[in-house]
Amino acid sequence: MKFSTTLACLAATAVLATPAVAEYPERSIELTIPAGAGGGTDTSARKLAIILEEALGQSIAILNVSGSGGSVGATQFMQAKPDGYSLFATWNSPLTTVPQVQNVAYSLDSFTPIASTSETAYTLCVKSDFPATDGAGFLEELAANPGKYTYANDGIGGTMQLAAERIFQSKGIDAVAIPFGGAKESLQNFLGGHVDIYGGSISTVLPHVEAGTAVCPIVTSAADVPALPGASGLAALGMADKETLLWRAILGPKGLDPEIVAKLADVIEVAVNNPDYVAFLATKGEVPNVVKGDALGQRLQNEFDGLAEVSKALGL
Amino acid sequence: MDFYIDALAAVLTLGPLLAMIGATILGVFIGALPGLNPVMAIALLLPLTYSMDPLVALGMVAGIYNGSMYGGAIPSILLRIPGTPASIATTFDGFPMTEKGEASKALKVACWSSAIGGIASAIALMTVGPLLAKVTLLFGPAEYFWIAVFGMASVGVMVGSDPVKGVMSATLGLLIGTMGIDSLSGQARFTFGQTWLLGGLDLIVVLVGLYALPPVLQLAEKSDFKGLSAAALKLQAIPFKSGEIRSFIPTWIRSSGIGIAVGILPGAGGNIAAFLSYNAAKNTARDQDSFGKGNPKGVAAAETGNNADNAASMIPVLALGIPGNVVAALVLSALVIHGLQPGPQLFHQNPVLVGGFMMEMLLTSILIIFLGGALATRVFAQFQRLPGVLLVPSIMILMCVGVYVINGRPIDLWVMFAAGVAGYFLEKVNVPLAPIILGMILGPMAEQSVRRALLISRGDPSELLTRPISATLAIATLLVLIWPIAKSIRKSRAA
Repeated sequence: MKFSTTLACLAATAVLATPAVAEYPERSIELTIPAGAGGGTDTSARKLAIILEEALGQSIAILNVSGSGGSVGATQFMQAKPDGYSLFATWNSPLTTVPQVQNVAYSLDSFTPIASTSETAYTLCVKSDFPATDGAGFLEELAANPGKYTYANDGIGGTMQLAAERIFQSKGIDAVAIPFGGAKESLQNFLGGHVDIYGGSISTVLPHVEAGTAVCPIVTSAADVPALPGASGLAALGMADKETLLWRAILGPKGLDPEIVAKLADVIEVAVNNPDYVAFLATKGEVPNVVKGDALGQRLQNEFDGLAEVSKALGL
Repeated sequence: MDFYIDALAAVLTLGPLLAMIGATILGVFIGALPGLNPVMAIALLLPLTYSMDPLVALGMVAGIYNGSMYGGAIPSILLRIPGTPASIATTFDGFPMTEKGEASKALKVACWSSAIGGIASAIALMTVGPLLAKVTLLFGPAEYFWIAVFGMASVGVMVGSDPVKGVMSATLGLLIGTMGIDSLSGQARFTFGQTWLLGGLDLIVVLVGLYALPPVLQLAEKSDFKGLSAAALKLQAIPFKSGEIRSFIPTWIRSSGIGIAVGILPGAGGNIAAFLSYNAAKNTARDQDSFGKGNPKGVAAAETGNNADNAASMIPVLALGIPGNVVAALVLSALVIHGLQPGPQLFHQNPVLVGGFMMEMLLTSILIIFLGGALATRVFAQFQRLPGVLLVPSIMILMCVGVYVINGRPIDLWVMFAAGVAGYFLEKVNVPLAPIILGMILGPMAEQSVRRALLISRGDPSELLTRPISATLAIATLLVLIWPIAKSIRKSRAA
């Protein structure tokens, strides 16, 4: 009798322990964001989480773990259990840029790519009284005055700095990089005139462009950006190959069940294309962009290799 | 200003009103329980309100934020355990008042001062907010460097009787502050190969350990099985002397000003505001020696300062889209989720919502007067009736839960425990603990700012002194350093 009870218990435990993909998710999911509350990555992920909660029928708890360009959050997340209940909503930089300059404990193999969600370009902006406010003129002005101008960026060796330096290198421009704690701090110092050029995300500076205090001559994507009508894309300047984007994706820990990955990727694809979400992205100068599973892994690897070249050339 | 009337009408509807009252009460509780803090509470609750009317969500933020800043004073006064980082300065005089049997008076002073600081700050936000936002922009890396140095100079006044121990303690804080990845070079410092140290030590984790554990251990030493009887607990209503309330007015005005000034600077925060206003109150008082021994003005200064920081810290986020602290960042994300864009256009986009949020900051400050006092004496003071053997484990459980929730890492519990044991022995040898926390906050701020300023000036240090605001701050720092020395020389001559 006792033996059979034990056996029954064991059997029950075994059944409970086997992840039943069909029923996934059965409880709430924890979503780690490697950035502070209120930033671009955070608001994009939180808004998406609301739509995903409805689609999955489970609540999603958000955990902000910021610091060191996202590597703190990524390092903490890589230790999570690959059961589908711990997910990671990040932008590309912690995975592809940060490892170039920091000695991090993780690699691309520490994660299971699920799906990318949206993308946007970085921008360089100046005050409206800057000598040149169009793309070509702006680059000429910088090239003609080596070492004269300072530009704010999101942190040493961050994607934003690499995006700017790729453009500067090809035009032989020497501008002084001033690293700040994030786009908000960069904005504060740009608006106060402590640095000459703002470098960072479009959404942060957008209200000041609309108010007429800032003008953005350049975006770091090949194509122009509808939210910033005055800014030149790199294709228009003949540097389409220097494109650097900021994009966002959701990943799981290493070893996540492929069926869960496929299920989540499909749910995410639908959620990202929800008209509400598309409209929300538009206000931040972002567009939906879904790349799923292994294709996403390939994209990460390609970007990692490309940036490795740039940062080597920069001597970072 | 018409839109304030519309905004008031929108705020005085059932949803926002209930949200404000409920959140203010909740905020007082969160502030009063060591380990739980407003940032965590707002971060957890705000996403739940995304589908509701934004004024409900923002009313909740306002209530929790203002309520908790006052709530932090309650355990500071009753148990010498600061409920929030911003209420450390409240322990300096609040707990000595309790020891003298004046707990009820200290709580009353804290309650009024919190409300007054909050009201002054909200009025500043509503009237001169956009103007103050311009002031925010005048502060670049060079100015931030001097603010940090100015703050550190004020440590000199807090070191107590033994300056050497005070400086030791501040140096320890500075060293702890250098841990983690250096944001200007990307180098890891003092991480000993541990990935969990890459982000440095979390201020709140260290603070909870350092400040809450030693008093708890001391309570445990007494091994008290009875607790206070209801009769002994009866908080005596010590009447204010005639003119005593009027004598607080200069402190209230000064501390409100300091709180607002610190509030509009992103990154400075309520912790510094409370320290600076306590310091200013002590420096300008005639009876300096009574500070630290239960002077109600010390409580008034600290509590006015930390509440006056609140609404002012919303100025840069609403006017410029630049959040100065985590609560402001959460407000920013709530506005963005509701499709609004904080920044110069925000007022035109939705004046009723913005005006309504400002009204809510004001109304929740007023609510503290009505709710705060009763909560403190009717509810929290009763905890002292618990015998030590029950009180000690209860507080420790709360501390552990609070610390664990911050990052969800068990290692933080060990950090807290280590900080607590260190704090216990440091107190035994009379090393003051406040300079450690100040060093942790101000050290990184000073270091990063000065390096950025030098990058911008291409390595020319004269730029640190030639700008008008940085020069003024440098002179103020010198004065703060010289003032106590000059005073003591004059005193010894007179004697």
